[in-house]
Amino acid sequence: MNRSARVATIFALVLAAVLAGGAGTALLGICGPFTDVSDPSFCNFVIEIFVLGITTGTTPTTFDPAAPVSRLQMAALLSRTVDATLARGGRRAALDQLWVTQGAENLGLTVVGSGPVDVRSDGSDIWVACGGADSVTRVHASTGRSLESWSGAAAASSVIPAMGRVVVTGSTAPGRLFSIDPGQPAGAVTTVASSLGSFPGAITFDGGHFWTANQAGSVSIVTPAAAPPWDVTNVTSGFQAPAGILFDSANVWVTDAGAGSLVKLDSAGSILETVTVGSSPRHPAYDGANIWVPDELSDSVSVVRAATGALLRTLTGNALSHPLAAAFDGQRILVTSPSGDRVSLWKAADLTPIGSFSTGAASSPHGACSDGINFWITLGSNQLARF
Amino acid sequence: MLAALAGTAGGVSGLCGPFIDVPDTPFCRSILEIFTLGITVGTTPTTYTPDGVVNRLQAAVLLSRTIDSVLDRGSRAAALGQFWNPGNPAVLGYTTLPFRPISVKADGENIWVSNPPAVSRVRASDGKLLESWTGAPDAEFLLVAMGKVFVTGLNGSLYQVDPAQPAGSVTAVVTGLGAHPFRIAYDGGRIWTANINPGSISIISPGPSIPWTATTITAGFTDPNGILYDGSHIWVTEFQSGLLKKVGPSGAVLQTVTLEKDIGRPAFDGANLWVPTFNQAVLIVRAADGRLVTKLRENELIGPSIAAFDGRRMLIWNADFSAISLWRASDMTPIGAVAPPSDVVTDICSDGLHFWLALPNAGQIARF
Repeated sequence: MNRSARVATIFALVLAAVLAGGAGTALLGICGPFTDVSDPSFCNFVIEIFVLGITTGTTPTTFDPAAPVSRLQMAALLSRTVDATLARGGRRAALDQLWVTQGAENLGLTVVGSGPVDVRSDGSDIWVACGGADSVTRVHASTGRSLESWSGAAAASSVIPAMGRVVVTGSTAPGRLFSIDPGQPAGAVTTVASSLGSFPGAITFDGGHFWTANQAGSVSIVTPAAAPPWDVTNVTSGFQAPAGILFDSANVWVTDAGAGSLVKLDSAGSILETVTVGSSPRHPAYDGANIWVPDELSDSVSVVRAATGALLRTLTGNALSHPLAAAFDGQRILVTSPSGDRVSLWKAADLTPIGSFSTGAASSPHGACSDGINFWITLGSNQLARF
Repeated sequence: MLAALAGTAGGVSGLCGPFIDVPDTPFCRSILEIFTLGITVGTTPTTYTPDGVVNRLQAAVLLSRTIDSVLDRGSRAAALGQFWNPGNPAVLGYTTLPFRPISVKADGENIWVSNPPAVSRVRASDGKLLESWTGAPDAEFLLVAMGKVFVTGLNGSLYQVDPAQPAGSVTAVVTGLGAHPFRIAYDGGRIWTANINPGSISIISPGPSIPWTATTITAGFTDPNGILYDGSHIWVTEFQSGLLKKVGPSGAVLQTVTLEKDIGRPAFDGANLWVPTFNQAVLIVRAADGRLVTKLRENELIGPSIAAFDGRRMLIWNADFSAISLWRASDMTPIGAVAPPSDVVTDICSDGLHFWLALPNAGQIARF
């Protein structure tokens, strides 16, 4: 049966559609409920956007196929298309996990080393930099089991899985960089660089180099080598107190907590563009189009379009209280507020708030990441929470 | 590349791919993207008519193809190069469980299987049975949530497995639920069970200590056999009365959609509920408004009883053992019907890459 014949068959079999509340209303049209889509070769397309809720037609029984689409209508159609596609394509839909975790009782908790700060997923496991314990803990995401711990990561402050390794910053003066080979039995980390700018607190990778944001006023660019030490270039020009860093697939961006800015860097670490954001911007997240910057001392989140550097909006409310770190899971942005013991969520596609949720009294949520199914948040003195 | 594209237009090299009426401006990249993805073919093989006006019908075509191409490209199956659908039962991957499996649920990496009195963990990547918890003689259906695994006990219990701990005995977190708790769902704060006989639903609130508190509601329910959460509301299906009910936070019925008698286990595709009925049909209900948008009867539907969604495809198992029916969820196009394993199937889930079927008589689960 060809496509058009199949569609005709489907809808010939629609005896009656039942409206909400059981009120029966016949909706038999030529194409689904629509009586004015007469070309069967187009019906399938109309039905797809109808069942996805992208269009409701011009009336319950008409689609008005020949009418032009205005730019305003096109915006609504495209926005709903993006939402419908993301809602279907996310891993949470396939796993039947469409809920938003409501509170502290609903978190899954794993004990990790003391002073957990940064956290990152490798797709299967969660890696936690535990600054109080000078260690890195590996947690199995699906079971929440603490698998192993790597020692010797002095003042571990941030972590990133890359190149089949896990690379960790040590917030010391000068700063250090450690490497873990997850294929080997757990033991001590390997120090691969010890001349970074002082107090690195965040790390990213651009495919060839590791970049660290160093709170004492620099950015370090570290080039991996076959054997340590790895080559380090420290860039100080233009930086006051870099706090967060990310790579958007084209450029490295750094938040400067001292300057209240988000800056875009070239491959040598020179500042290409400066975006003024809120006070004391911290650990940002990139959603594929925009950079979400928690402004710690403004109780706001600045959303910056990466392509142009334009400040799209400054988000306030939603229980933001000295926000510290942002994370993205493919659909949602999560921001931690340690002083409020809460996390705040937004729908990334249209910047609308989803709500804020308690992580428990005195839990002090700190770092955050996503594995595409759950968010993972470092809590309090020694915990990792699945949200 | 551009030359290759132009080759499809009889060797005419346009200014922008095959198109001679689009200047090589920044717009060209966007036009080439939707051309190479098959979202547009142009107005002729060599023209795009950039100043033409789009009507609503054309917009529907463009948007529909956009959704399909994005989902096809973004799927795990595409990244792993696994575009096939199994052709017969012999090509499925089977894992033998200690006991007869009833329910399957994916946590993203593992498949959890209730096989009373055990609850077992199977690694999805290779189908290896990893470990089993015991002590759930009446285990039924599974939920993965809060970093834990929950399973209903037919005699009125809710059991919990803490996968972070070594395998041992399950823990009963609540007892005395409505009789015969069956399917199970979670709304981010509380666990819901559909209790089939006598009909009720139970709402369980996790707490710091065991037992957790549970509220059982009978008003408005006769024989609930299916329950799911769509991101906004709990939906309950009632088996013989053929009703689909949207339920509020207190358990009150907010909306009743009359479907057909003998409803099977529904699935949610991100927009619509697919409700199989033994009366040879799958009913599609839009979650946003509870509207029955269409009824599917083709694709070898004979006694459809269980639906499952993997991000792109909807799988329906037919209780007469004749076929597993697959649809492309976005436009409800039949992908085809496949011969099923010769066993009753009691539950199906997806891990986003494969479907997994519980085969109690064979004592196995099958990767589809």
